[in-house]
Amino acid sequence: MAGAEGFVEADNAEAIMIRIEHKTRKIESLLKQCKPVEALKTALEGTHAMTRDERCKSAHWIVVHRALMAIKDVDGMLSSLDPEYYDILMKYLYKGLATGDRPTCDQCLRIHEKLTEKAGFGCILRHLADTVNTV
Amino acid sequence: MAAISVHQFAPCITCHAWSPDKSMVAFCPNNNEVHIYKLFEDKWEKVHTLQKHDQIISGIDWSTRTNRIVTASQDRNSYVWNLEGSEWVPTLVILRLNRAALCVQWSPKENKFAVGSGAKTVCVCYYEQENNWWVSKLIRKRHDSSVTSVSWHPNNILLATTSTDGKCRVFSTLIKGVDSKESNGSTSSYSKFGELIIQLDLSLSWAFGVKWSPSGNTLAYVGHNSMIYFVDDVGPSPLAQNVACRDLPLRDVLFVSERMVIGVGFDCTPMVFAADDRGIWSFVRYLGEKKETSSGSKYGSQFSEAFGKFYGQSKHGMNNDSVESSKIRGGVHENCINCIMPLGECGTLIRRFSTSGLDGRVVIWDLEGQQDLLDYM
Repeated sequence: MAGAEGFVEADNAEAIMIRIEHKTRKIESLLKQCKPVEALKTALEGTHAMTRDERCKSAHWIVVHRALMAIKDVDGMLSSLDPEYYDILMKYLYKGLATGDRPTCDQCLRIHEKLTEKAGFGCILRHLADTVNTV
Repeated sequence: MAAISVHQFAPCITCHAWSPDKSMVAFCPNNNEVHIYKLFEDKWEKVHTLQKHDQIISGIDWSTRTNRIVTASQDRNSYVWNLEGSEWVPTLVILRLNRAALCVQWSPKENKFAVGSGAKTVCVCYYEQENNWWVSKLIRKRHDSSVTSVSWHPNNILLATTSTDGKCRVFSTLIKGVDSKESNGSTSSYSKFGELIIQLDLSLSWAFGVKWSPSGNTLAYVGHNSMIYFVDDVGPSPLAQNVACRDLPLRDVLFVSERMVIGVGFDCTPMVFAADDRGIWSFVRYLGEKKETSSGSKYGSQFSEAFGKFYGQSKHGMNNDSVESSKIRGGVHENCINCIMPLGECGTLIRRFSTSGLDGRVVIWDLEGQQDLLDYM
């Protein structure tokens, strides 16, 4: 069964890559217009990240990372972000912290503090417990 | 105040159960003994100590009609205790396990009990008159990991289990000669012993604390990923819902009515969940005050110290040991609650219940006077 799933995924991967590219362009233009919050929302939207294809995952991470690093006003961002995105944002924050890159870690830790305050520990628990839908 | 009585019995309690008339409480103080306390005019006094197990007792249940206590322990055995005169006499139940027994519950008719174990099995035990012996029948090869909780359907046949493989399962426990005697042959419609009726695959991490609603129509269980799951119409076409908790995960749940569930766990404060008119479950509120008071940190739980350090170091470089040590938990319970038991009549409406936890307290809660909650009952 796992093999069959992998096959479908591989078939899908190209389609997902195209969608991610499309997303990237949209985010770039939002960032140029100085709308970092909108850009992050766009980045987190959809479930492209939940694919098992590593190439798609890393392509998507580059997009999210781009949007994350542009965030200046963390409180403002969180207050305009829908609670349904909290869990996925938390996953990306941990991915960022795992990179070991100093500016990325600093930024992720800054957002992590505010997000934990707002979304609670449950959000972290769901990230830790979910070994299937990784980003 | 929703908590009407708080009593510190021991440094830590693994589980507790009430006598049929609710005048006595039996609990395990995190060792191989069961202590039974009785309330004499505002004062709890120890009346019995049940000593027979070799290791920590992980489950106690006290039957209402037959006044029998069943215990399950990490020593892989169970005992059924009968009160003869003023002495509790144990009868060994050989469960045939090679791992710890983790939980135990009497069936509604009290002619069977179920034991969940670390051996990936569930034992269903029943009394054999001829041999004066409790026989254990095993449900094997269904669970991929330890069975953390068992719960009997009101029909005395179906048994729900949760496991650390993340699944919740429902089994038939029909035993010939035990179940057919009383139910007038109506049991023929049930599947044979050990048959898996349904497997619910909602949680991605360990599952704990499963319970049936009073009618047996709804099932609730919790996951270690801070989620609670509600399953309506358990059968061929179940309807599943999940609710994400804001804070730490739950350990056990209790239905106080068809539409209201109390969840307890690592957050130290009971949480109320309720279904609205359309049957949509949601978190209502915490029971009792949730203490968020803290001097050094914003995080009102035992994690605050670690979190304070985590963030402190990120800001001020290293060697930040000055983060205030935090004994800031100040709720009714000061540590994880791992057991919740109903109090009062075993009807469809439970107004009172008790909780016990790793802080060694037994707390009695009353929903009377909680006007906003009574609407859901």
